[in-house]
Amino acid sequence: MLLKLEEVTKRFGGLVAVNSVSLEIDEGEKVGIVGPNGSGKTTLYNVISGVYAPDGGRIFFEGKEITNLPAHERTKLGIARTFQVPRPFGSATVRENVAIGAMFGRANAGVDEALEMADRYLEMVGIYELREKEAKLLTPLEKKLMELARALAMKPKLLLLDELLAGMNPQDINRILDLINKVKEEENIATIAMVEHLMHAITKFAERVVVMHQGSKLIEGPTMEVLNHPKVVEVYLGEKLKIG
Amino acid sequence: MRNYTPLVTLLLIYAVMIAIGQGIQGMWQPIMLVIFYIAVGQALNIFLGMTGYVNFGYVALLGVGAYGMAVALGYYTDLGLIPALTLGFILAILLAFIVSMVVGGIALRLRGAYFAIATIGVNEGIKYLILGGKIWGGSSGIVLSGILRKAYGAETMRFLSTVFADAGLIVVAILSGIITMYILNSRLGYGLIALREDEDAAKVMGINVRRYKQIAFVISCILAGLIGATAWTLKLTYVFPQDVFAINYTVEAIVIVMLGGAGTLLGPVVGGLIYALLKYYLTIAFPGMQLLILAPLLIIVILLFPEGVVGYLAKAARGTRFEKFVR
Repeated sequence: MLLKLEEVTKRFGGLVAVNSVSLEIDEGEKVGIVGPNGSGKTTLYNVISGVYAPDGGRIFFEGKEITNLPAHERTKLGIARTFQVPRPFGSATVRENVAIGAMFGRANAGVDEALEMADRYLEMVGIYELREKEAKLLTPLEKKLMELARALAMKPKLLLLDELLAGMNPQDINRILDLINKVKEEENIATIAMVEHLMHAITKFAERVVVMHQGSKLIEGPTMEVLNHPKVVEVYLGEKLKIG
Repeated sequence: MRNYTPLVTLLLIYAVMIAIGQGIQGMWQPIMLVIFYIAVGQALNIFLGMTGYVNFGYVALLGVGAYGMAVALGYYTDLGLIPALTLGFILAILLAFIVSMVVGGIALRLRGAYFAIATIGVNEGIKYLILGGKIWGGSSGIVLSGILRKAYGAETMRFLSTVFADAGLIVVAILSGIITMYILNSRLGYGLIALREDEDAAKVMGINVRRYKQIAFVISCILAGLIGATAWTLKLTYVFPQDVFAINYTVEAIVIVMLGGAGTLLGPVVGGLIYALLKYYLTIAFPGMQLLILAPLLIIVILLFPEGVVGYLAKAARGTRFEKFVR
């Protein structure tokens, strides 16, 4: 068991953003989290990565309790994430951005090693030629790719992707999915991808899907089974999903 | 790909300045004024430039450093010259360390503007503590000239307040530059840049932002303390609370950093040169009117170079053979 959430709750004043959610992720597993806007997905990510402390429940990583561990220490254990709206370190170059991931993530690399790693991961995601550019000058898509490279350079055991694929064209989506699958196989990274709308992408990626609805876990199970479940279709998709 | 070559540019600038100061009659005082402002900017830059946090209590650190040296030379004169001086530097560092640990430990829990507001009180607080508590002579300060002359002789005193004080300040200024260069090339520097750009993202990237801010703050403050000890106590041979806790030095240091380019090595050097020379010659040319002319000139420079002169030059040099020398 890599990650385990035990009845985790997060409130903002009277609003219960995440309501007693339990979740288990195994090493190397590919899991999708889907749910409409406001269903608590991003809050769940923030609680896992340590941006917020939960108001109730416990979180374990590799069997060790991390409920009250600060974000930077969780990162060292091997949790990495991307942001829904990319958050580059604007005035640093693309290469430096990725190197910062390698330096302070689980990889814990020295400066020289981190810069070399940055080149490698930039090549992998396909933006090597942008490496000397200031990160704030990138297009939104390039920023997302840079964030992916930055997260991978941290050498995580658990990778949290927050709407990484939103706004990409089908070609890019396929390329990124292939890439994530390849890296995942090589380095045995468990990946949780969160999406709002891209159901076809999640079917290509996730073995298992968790559906969030109004802060609670609605249903969980094998991807196709869950996405076609009447409850999901009713509250979320509206109509039956047709694949293929 | 660590790059220390900008240090060549830095040392070259110092060499030229010292040569001008020594070679041309009447230039040593303006040059030392320039180096004082460079040093003040360089030490502040390590915190302000790298973290983006504004320390409005900055001058208090120069003040406590000045007092550290004055207390050693004034109250422990009997130890002999070398031990008293050594004690002075130790006290300057120690006082700056203590103040920065306490202020940083509390105020660095606050973000951005709230930190700046919290630090405004530090300077006034320490000043009125010394005045009201009649500590270290209270409002009458510590006057060293008589004590030093009696204990070590007029010749030694003159040497201390001229050659030794100037050399000490130059060493502190250059040391600040070398430390800046080292930080820029280290994990600390990368971590600081990350937190300056996006503190929350930096946290999630694994950076202990509280610790990193504190480290930069303490280094910046200790260097400020050494500037106070050399440029004020040793050079002027007196310390008065109203003089060393004057907030205008904080403002000038901020202007120098922003003018030259925050977070760059050469920024404070260029900023200090522009600021000090303009101020010095405007005062001679238009006595009493200097600030009225200086302010719009500074506004023009900042409008032309929003990232500071060196920030602009570093970008312009990208891809050319000068790239390695500018940072």
